[in-house]
Amino acid sequence: MGFAPMLARAGWRSAARTRASSFRGGTWILFWVAVFGLLVLPIALFLLVAFSPALFEQGPSWLTLEAFKSLLTPTFLPSVMDTLAVGVGAGALATVVGGAVAWAVQRTDVPLRPLWSGAMFTLLLAPSYLVALGWERLLEPNGVLDVLGVPDAGLRSIIYGPIGVTGVLAVKGLPFAYLAVSGALRGLGDEFTAAARVHGGGPWTATRITGALLAPAVWSSFAIVFAESISDFGVAATLANDAKFPVATYTLYNAVQAFPVDFPVAAAVGWVLLAMAGLAVFAQNRALKGRSYRVLGGRSRRVRRVELGRWRRPAVASLLALLVIASLGVPVFGALSASVISGLGSLIGSHGFTLDNYSRVIASPQLHGPLLFSVGMGAATATAVVTLGLVAARLLTGSAGNFSRRLLDLLLLTAVALPGIVFAAGYIFTYNLPLTDALGLHLYGTPTLLLLAYIATALPSTTRLLVGTVGQVQHSLPQAARVHGQGPLGAWISSELPLIARPLISAWLLTFGGTLLELPVSELLYPPGQPPVAVGITKALSNYDFGGGTAMEVLAILLALAVTGLLWGLWALFAPAGWRRLGATS
Amino acid sequence: MVDRKQTGRALAVVAAAGVALALAGCGSATTAGSSSSATSSSAGATSGAKTPLVVYSAQGYDSDVTKAFTAATGIPVKLVDDSTGPLLTKVQAEKNNPQWGLLWVDGDTAFASLDQQGMLAPYSPSTTLTAAGQALVPADHSYVPVSTTVMAAVIYNAAKTTTVPSSYQDLTTAPYQGKVGMNDPSQSGPTFPFIAGLMNQLGGQSNGMNAGEAYFSQLKSNGLHVYPTNGDTLHALETGQIDYGMIQSSAAAGEILKAPKSASFDPKVVYLPKATLLPGVIGIDKKAPADVQAEARQFVDYVLSPAGQKIMQDSDPQGDSLFWPIVPGIQASSALPAMPEYQRIDPTFWGPLEGQVNTWFDSTIK
Repeated sequence: MGFAPMLARAGWRSAARTRASSFRGGTWILFWVAVFGLLVLPIALFLLVAFSPALFEQGPSWLTLEAFKSLLTPTFLPSVMDTLAVGVGAGALATVVGGAVAWAVQRTDVPLRPLWSGAMFTLLLAPSYLVALGWERLLEPNGVLDVLGVPDAGLRSIIYGPIGVTGVLAVKGLPFAYLAVSGALRGLGDEFTAAARVHGGGPWTATRITGALLAPAVWSSFAIVFAESISDFGVAATLANDAKFPVATYTLYNAVQAFPVDFPVAAAVGWVLLAMAGLAVFAQNRALKGRSYRVLGGRSRRVRRVELGRWRRPAVASLLALLVIASLGVPVFGALSASVISGLGSLIGSHGFTLDNYSRVIASPQLHGPLLFSVGMGAATATAVVTLGLVAARLLTGSAGNFSRRLLDLLLLTAVALPGIVFAAGYIFTYNLPLTDALGLHLYGTPTLLLLAYIATALPSTTRLLVGTVGQVQHSLPQAARVHGQGPLGAWISSELPLIARPLISAWLLTFGGTLLELPVSELLYPPGQPPVAVGITKALSNYDFGGGTAMEVLAILLALAVTGLLWGLWALFAPAGWRRLGATS
Repeated sequence: MVDRKQTGRALAVVAAAGVALALAGCGSATTAGSSSSATSSSAGATSGAKTPLVVYSAQGYDSDVTKAFTAATGIPVKLVDDSTGPLLTKVQAEKNNPQWGLLWVDGDTAFASLDQQGMLAPYSPSTTLTAAGQALVPADHSYVPVSTTVMAAVIYNAAKTTTVPSSYQDLTTAPYQGKVGMNDPSQSGPTFPFIAGLMNQLGGQSNGMNAGEAYFSQLKSNGLHVYPTNGDTLHALETGQIDYGMIQSSAAAGEILKAPKSASFDPKVVYLPKATLLPGVIGIDKKAPADVQAEARQFVDYVLSPAGQKIMQDSDPQGDSLFWPIVPGIQASSALPAMPEYQRIDPTFWGPLEGQVNTWFDSTIK
């Protein structure tokens, strides 16, 4: 080869490298632009209203602290403390219980394993309305337990108060904790346990090491359940309605629901919630600082399941059954009592079994259109969120870019910690500006903006779910693939995708199910004439059509379960054997 | 570093694919949307390029009324049907660039507040309303009452009790101890006007809050139960947790139509002096283009016409259709009694107190 061609080739190479690096830079720029538009702007503009109500004509002042001053009441500080306690309690409880279920299902020979993991997923779809309704119908004075003669006064006073609120929120967080921890457990081969045992460690040491390696997933799960719980109002309002248990979001909802709507005060409460999310991120960073959790490579060993033995096997199964009955049985009972059995527990004479509500709802055009629309939106949201969430999870688990990592983490948690209704209001502030109208960019009132808001709503939890697994993938795998001549995409598909395919499907289904029944964002942002199914359900419930509304809810949940079954069925049939083997046990 | 770059490129491809998929999903959603709105506004399409009227409404009969309006006038309507709370939140969040043309919900306090913020275009329809209707019309005609319910109807279980109250004071006496329930104003929209109405009745605007607060404190010491909304209070009545529930008149009348009577459950309604009017109200967006405002005025006229009133009465017979008409010559549903003794409270005085009263109720009464 002559000198000139060599030079030419070198030049071509460097040009290619430049193109590649600008493409890479482009990816991150694209990602941050998306995050900026989806999360930063709506959250920032909403929070800004606390200081500058005049910005969106929400008051006369351009700069004021009035909204914060109005929070200085004797009840607000205790309500913030209550909220923190509920958040920490629900986060810890969900993580411990969800983690234990994940361990039992992934690592022991407990019977009926598909049933337990299926139950966790179903739980995810149970709206908190049905959970609260179920408990109420069971425990209320003259409720079902009273009718059956079961003494329930003690249980009633426990459930209708702080403990009940924390418990119900923990149950809501349970599927998330389960999915996060089981994703991470799958990636953790038997070699770590073996190493501990070889070096003389007992079973306890081995468990401790496994536990320590799960830290990113555990913290992910704690932080997200914490953030979900501090933003909740519905559960506290229904279960602890008369229990004198003020939570911080009460002030926020009173500001938004009572008229005139007071966005500055709602935004001031938003700052308080933001501070709480900040605390969670801080605690997490302290705990995970300077450690590596990359254990997911090509040589993870098959895990041998712990044999529970003759007595412990049924004991663990009974515990799981108890958990599933308590967590899933209650909302199912709520749905049944509202939609299938007329007048259950009431003084109304006949307690007939009826499917009228279902035939009525199935025949109603008010169900079909909204349900189809929500399915389409759910699928589009899930696809976009899994893609973006994967990028975000890489950023969160990467070693470089500490500042952007923390910023993204805080942003994602803040988005969860802000109640949906104010998050949606932030979307209206941002995307209904006269300026964007003048530019011909009118997104508010279109399916596109609803989709973007759905994506923003689902991104934080999906990202958190993926962090557990993505944080485990060893970098050497795609490098090896590249060394062997594969392109970047090929390397990713052949080395990394097989390792994370299963968590990706879980994340897709989680997002799909969550979006299908999402309410607050749907209510504020749905395009005129095209209501999503959650809006129709709420409308029916608020018109006292409890039977019809609940029947619609149950049908939507069944549909989501059918999609879940279909996807896993396709996975079992068509996924390459090697993909399916990851996390397999012997 | 290297691995990050490599995956970055791979991710770019995946991200692009994802965005494309998302856009595809979005595109199909848009198509579905335009086709469905095309069917609902087909009459508008044939009559030329009329701007669609965007209606924000929480009424159970709104879908049928808007369809009939489009059929009668050729004006296409885009309906946002939602609960009152989210609709008002939307309207307030859109304040610097309103997207609604017409707002139709129960309760005039919210409209008084919108008027005070200069957000409503006044309109006086040519229809002369009944006495109750005229009492509800604001001096500056900034909004239009088109129907009314009252707050509260006292629904009681006649199978369990023969004691029927004749005044609100009765409910604070021994026979009613632990048997009365009402809704939580921070979760039930119609309940603040009820509390404000009692405050107005007992102390007037000069001393209203104090006298009203004293009354509710008496109720509380007599064992008042507070449930989230109309539906929950009704459920408590059905299950025998309470014998008397103070709820919106349409919900009470609906329960009597729906609930089967039995030896242990026989709901009846009594109205105590005075019931506070809770009107169904329409307001027009002042910032809407002139042609949309004209369409909105036509809509108001249609709603007040015999044809419009008939659809309102037929469309949701066990729910929102159970209102008292305020258009002369229109008979109320046979499920409703004659209009009880009523009062109208000044929404410009009481409206702004809602947040304060709800917070007081939450910390003191609940």
